[in-house]
Amino acid sequence: MNEALTIDGLTVDFGGFKAVDGFTTVVQKGELRVILGPNGAGKTTLMDLVSGKTASTQGSVHLFGENITNRPEHIIARHGIGRKFQIPSVFRDLTVRQNLEVAASGEPGVFRNLRLHMVAEDRARVEDVIAMTRLEPVLDTVAGELSHGQMQWLELGMLITQQAKVILLDEPTAGMTHAETFRTAEIINEMKGSHTILVVEHDMAFVRKIAERITVMHMGKLLAEGPMEKIETDPKVREAYLGSGGIH
Amino acid sequence: MSSETSSTLPSSTSRLQRHADWAVYAVFIVMVLGAPLVIDDVFWLNRIAKYLVFGMLGIAIALSWGYAGILNLGQGLFFGLGAYMTAMSLKLMSATSLQQGSDKPVPDFMLWNAEPGAVTDLCCINKGSFLWIPFQSQWFGMAMSIVIPLIVAFVLSSSIFRLRVSGVYVAIITLALVLLVRLLLIDAQPITNGFNGLTDLGWLTIGGFEFDPYMVETYYVVAVSLTVVLLLGRWLVSTRAGLILQSTRDDPTRARYLGYDVAAYQIFFFTISAGIAGFAGLLYVVAAEFASPSFMDIGFSISMVVWAAVGGRNSLLGACIGAILINTVEATVSETEIFKEAWKLIIGGIFVLVVLYLPNGLAGIARDLLGRFERRRKGTPAETAPKAAE
Repeated sequence: MNEALTIDGLTVDFGGFKAVDGFTTVVQKGELRVILGPNGAGKTTLMDLVSGKTASTQGSVHLFGENITNRPEHIIARHGIGRKFQIPSVFRDLTVRQNLEVAASGEPGVFRNLRLHMVAEDRARVEDVIAMTRLEPVLDTVAGELSHGQMQWLELGMLITQQAKVILLDEPTAGMTHAETFRTAEIINEMKGSHTILVVEHDMAFVRKIAERITVMHMGKLLAEGPMEKIETDPKVREAYLGSGGIH
Repeated sequence: MSSETSSTLPSSTSRLQRHADWAVYAVFIVMVLGAPLVIDDVFWLNRIAKYLVFGMLGIAIALSWGYAGILNLGQGLFFGLGAYMTAMSLKLMSATSLQQGSDKPVPDFMLWNAEPGAVTDLCCINKGSFLWIPFQSQWFGMAMSIVIPLIVAFVLSSSIFRLRVSGVYVAIITLALVLLVRLLLIDAQPITNGFNGLTDLGWLTIGGFEFDPYMVETYYVVAVSLTVVLLLGRWLVSTRAGLILQSTRDDPTRARYLGYDVAAYQIFFFTISAGIAGFAGLLYVVAAEFASPSFMDIGFSISMVVWAAVGGRNSLLGACIGAILINTVEATVSETEIFKEAWKLIIGGIFVLVVLYLPNGLAGIARDLLGRFERRRKGTPAETAPKAAE
């Protein structure tokens, strides 16, 4: 089974306005897909639909062949979708280590978690992710005190700890310094191959660093799909971007 | 983030802090269990027993408010239900219920208000009196003191949290509910004795031993119960489930995207908190020998929140000590007439100050001091979180 995420004719109708309109794409296992598009193209709404935050009105989403369309968020998450938000979303009153420990639990139920210690396997995964995200110096710091970049990496780390099969990243470099953006590209490139990743991003320099295949969205629809070079020269894409100053 | 916010929460839980934490627990438990060795005035022991019950309510509040982020302004509902269930049983064991010219116990107030010619039996002295029949067993009443709050809390929280109601709306719903039940309780006068509540109760009797409220043994029933609840609560928040619960408090959306059914965690801990409050109600009746609709007064439920806030809502023990301390001081101060009224003003003022300047209450101060001591010992200045490599 190589089709990780299959989105078929996905549509959401907000009282006449279709933010996502008959969108179809297939993301292969281990692929890193970037979704581009001018503001209001429906990129974030697409992520909301896939992750269960918003219910779609038509179409379907399959994850490794299983239908996850319009299931509750936590069920979709348990099926293997992990999501990173545009504004970093971590548990601000818990320490970095506790954040990762929450993400590591292989068991979602209340009663199964009425025990003091993590299973060894989960603990090992937490240690791996700590090394990968270079968060050791701040392990005992409350997440709310982290720098913006560290918070983003922690959230990424939580998705890896969670063992998400498909990771949705919504503008992972928003608000980051150059150095932080660079480090984020490194982390994402390390995840390549072992994880299937769908990224929404505006920063073209960053996209060039990580992208393999690109999907361009416009007015809720798929406009073009292909490798970087092809997309940059696509006349349809250029036209769609004219209003917002072209790809930059 | 600026490092100024670090004063609101401990930035780390070090080994020293954990050890200090356990030391404080140990000292507290020794003090609670050892109190009768120092205090030989049984009236004071009985008073302290009641304050220990309030301490248990503090634990219940800290569990739901501090750990789950659910502000329950109607905790008195569960306390009151727990109190009435046990009080009904103890009422039937009272001498007055057994001396009503029937071979079966009948509460005196039911007889006073009975229709002329009514059968003096619980089955049919009035329309609702049959509800009392199972309470002839003391153990039934005591079990119901915990079971009924658990059931009510489970049903209530299932509907609230499945619909993702949160924050101030939960506070409003719980507040309205406790008022509603209080009205119903007073209105059901024939079976609850309405406004007067249940008084003139018998004593808790276990294996022929009667627990006179003014006996050291009764104090120990309360003290040991509190210790057990405190340690169980502590275990509960230290489990993985306790950690996940705290994560749902910080960011429910994130917790959902990690695969947790947030409502399930909220329901579980809200219900446990209600069960603790019900158990506290049971113990209060044993120590105070009455149950009254005043347990469901808004003021009482809000007082519980104040105790927990002053003691530290993020700490089970802090909230517990807060409740005991405030009530002990109140009792001492209230002896003087002038202070009696002023006290409400003082406690109101303290509450405002705590909310504004000490969001973690007394427990927060203790943690801050310990953190400062620790840094001094290590010789490092107050550290700010290391920033990203730039």
